[in-house]
Amino acid sequence: MNKKWLSAATCIALTTVVAGTACSKGEGGSGKTVTITHYTIDSPDRTFVEKLIPDFEAKHPNIKVKVTKAPYEQFDSKLQSAIAGKKAPDVTSHWGYGGFMEYYSKGMLMDLSQLLQDDGFNAADYNIPENVMDIYKVDGKTYGVPLNSYVTVMLYNKDMFDKAGVAYPPTDYEDKSWTFDKMVDAAKKMTVDSKNLADAQYGVDFGWGERDQRVQYFGADVYSEDTWTNGGKPSKVNLDKPEVIDAYKKIYGLIHDQKVSPTPAFSKSVSGQFGDPFLSGKIGMSVVGSWSLAASNNFNFKVGVAAVPQGPNPKVRSVLYVDPLFILKDSKHPKEALEWIKYLITTEVQEKSIELSGGNPPVNQKAADKYYSSFDGIDPAQIKQVYDGAYKYGFESYNHLIDNYSQINELFINELGPVENGDKKAEEVLPVIQEKLTKLLERLNK
Amino acid sequence: MNATAIADKEPAPMPRKRRRLSWGALLGFALLLVVTVAMLSPLWFMVSTSLKTTKEMLAFPPTFIPETFAWSNFAELFTNSDIKFGQQYGNSLIVAVSSVIGTVLSSSLVAFGFARYRTRGSGLLFMLVLSTMMLPYPAIMIPQFLLFTKIGLHDSLLPLILPNFFGSAYIIFLLKQFFSTLPNELYDAGRIDGSSEFRLFWNITLPLAGPALATVSIFTFIWSWNDLLAPVLYLDSQENFTLPIGMAAMMSSKFRLAPWNLLMAAAILSSLPIIALFAVAQRRFVEGIVLTGIK
Repeated sequence: MNKKWLSAATCIALTTVVAGTACSKGEGGSGKTVTITHYTIDSPDRTFVEKLIPDFEAKHPNIKVKVTKAPYEQFDSKLQSAIAGKKAPDVTSHWGYGGFMEYYSKGMLMDLSQLLQDDGFNAADYNIPENVMDIYKVDGKTYGVPLNSYVTVMLYNKDMFDKAGVAYPPTDYEDKSWTFDKMVDAAKKMTVDSKNLADAQYGVDFGWGERDQRVQYFGADVYSEDTWTNGGKPSKVNLDKPEVIDAYKKIYGLIHDQKVSPTPAFSKSVSGQFGDPFLSGKIGMSVVGSWSLAASNNFNFKVGVAAVPQGPNPKVRSVLYVDPLFILKDSKHPKEALEWIKYLITTEVQEKSIELSGGNPPVNQKAADKYYSSFDGIDPAQIKQVYDGAYKYGFESYNHLIDNYSQINELFINELGPVENGDKKAEEVLPVIQEKLTKLLERLNK
Repeated sequence: MNATAIADKEPAPMPRKRRRLSWGALLGFALLLVVTVAMLSPLWFMVSTSLKTTKEMLAFPPTFIPETFAWSNFAELFTNSDIKFGQQYGNSLIVAVSSVIGTVLSSSLVAFGFARYRTRGSGLLFMLVLSTMMLPYPAIMIPQFLLFTKIGLHDSLLPLILPNFFGSAYIIFLLKQFFSTLPNELYDAGRIDGSSEFRLFWNITLPLAGPALATVSIFTFIWSWNDLLAPVLYLDSQENFTLPIGMAAMMSSKFRLAPWNLLMAAAILSSLPIIALFAVAQRRFVEGIVLTGIK
């Protein structure tokens, strides 16, 4: 009796599903006008794509593009509920807290390999280097098409250098005399470590990558090697290894032993909760993501750009943040979505986007030249040299490579807080993180 | 020397008494002044930042009085086509006012029922209503989203307004407590005069509940006015956005400077309705706190 009902119910369910898919396929037929949705952060450097739509629609009369948006903090929540409510956008990127691997392992992304192959897509046509294209491949399958590429750069306050009589740092990554120790020496000459906020200023703010990736600069790695090949699931955590502990000692030694870097309290009081203290003009050198360059025309001081100095790890000196575009799995119009993506990475549109966005670095290397020359008072050749070096000595951001990264990153932020404040020593805290992180990973990657 | 002793013997001469008062008062005023300055300084900083140019906004140490008063910041909120402040302001007002009407109407009716009628299981029913207070919004977020999407209300203001017409446990609780304090004799008198039960609610209870209704109106208005997550989830089109979305968006780019001066100007303008509402309802609101606090 029960079984009969069950099979009857299954039959009905199956017919509905089949009918449902048949219907949705019907909608996507060529010739008809389809609407695709592009979901992004509600900020001018992202929503500028709205201004490109009229041109795109004129060139593709059967595709309409709708832009939906959310503030940064709510980006992930809106995306999750939209997917649950079958209102998923067609095109988006990991613009919220979560990174590529998180999207990938939650099964949100469409495998684009076949689509790209059918389309005859060739990255070289869009001047995207092969190794950049490879970042969003897993097991040989492509899940994302690069759009913008940010790197880690050193910004420096020329006024502070002039005042202290220190020579400007070089832009050439091959100038091996520009080392971490030399940077610390220069920083010492500019630092005034004072309790009085008006007098205090610091030589360097070393914001290289996120906290877990930062030790990579010193030749250590928090995660086991297999992380980079198995889909971002570290099998082992290395926070108990002496080279990792030494790296953290060096990083936080800048604040508390050498006293050439600002404490979090200082940074917050000159720039607010989330601001960059470099903007206040109280920091000599700042190692940051190149997005900070976009604001440079508003700075109250003369700014320069330089190579990240050579550290103990000669191979990795810059973190790359390549932002891709994804097509979500539930998209009913992947072909049209790909047309939109291809449009966004053409040389012409990438060049146009630099100005419309206020300085987003294009992934299309032909358009990059225009990007290098879009900053007041900075020589384009210097920016180009810094970017070239950063690509050569770059490693992709952990955020894009490790699964469940937002939770892992939060653990590091919370646990290292007391070390940054000077309440605890790195070597006291690292065993705690080791234990918590191992447990967290065991739970997440079961 | 001893002022009270003097006062005991004979009526103290006026100047003396005044001097004694003024010492205490002086201390009191000094203390009040310190606290007031401490409380008002963030407010002052908001006003002063709203009038700064972008360059001055970044200056360190920060200036307390802007060197040049950039009144244009306020105008820019309305003229900058990327911000759409006026439209968002209007949407927020629609949502907040409708929410207040919905919550007050539905919750007061339910509260009246719980306060004036007893039947088997009414205690349990009331507990059940209160238990919905324990559910945080994220727990019901997705199911509610699915519901409203299914009935085709996605990307409209209705999902933000409609739930308020089905009562709010907290408001029901507040109003029930207040309604219970009204004397039974009033209702008996009404019944003798042949009033219907609904009339007892509409013509007797509501007019007497002014302070309580003012209180819950302000609460509901502020909740709805400040709500960010629900509007973000439901609204897709820019023309439907509410103020919190617009203001959160202003500081949501990590690639650019947040326009703090514009944001502060927006903050000032967006606090006006709450200040106005409070001014109108203040007398009743304070009464309401006292009454609901005591009973």
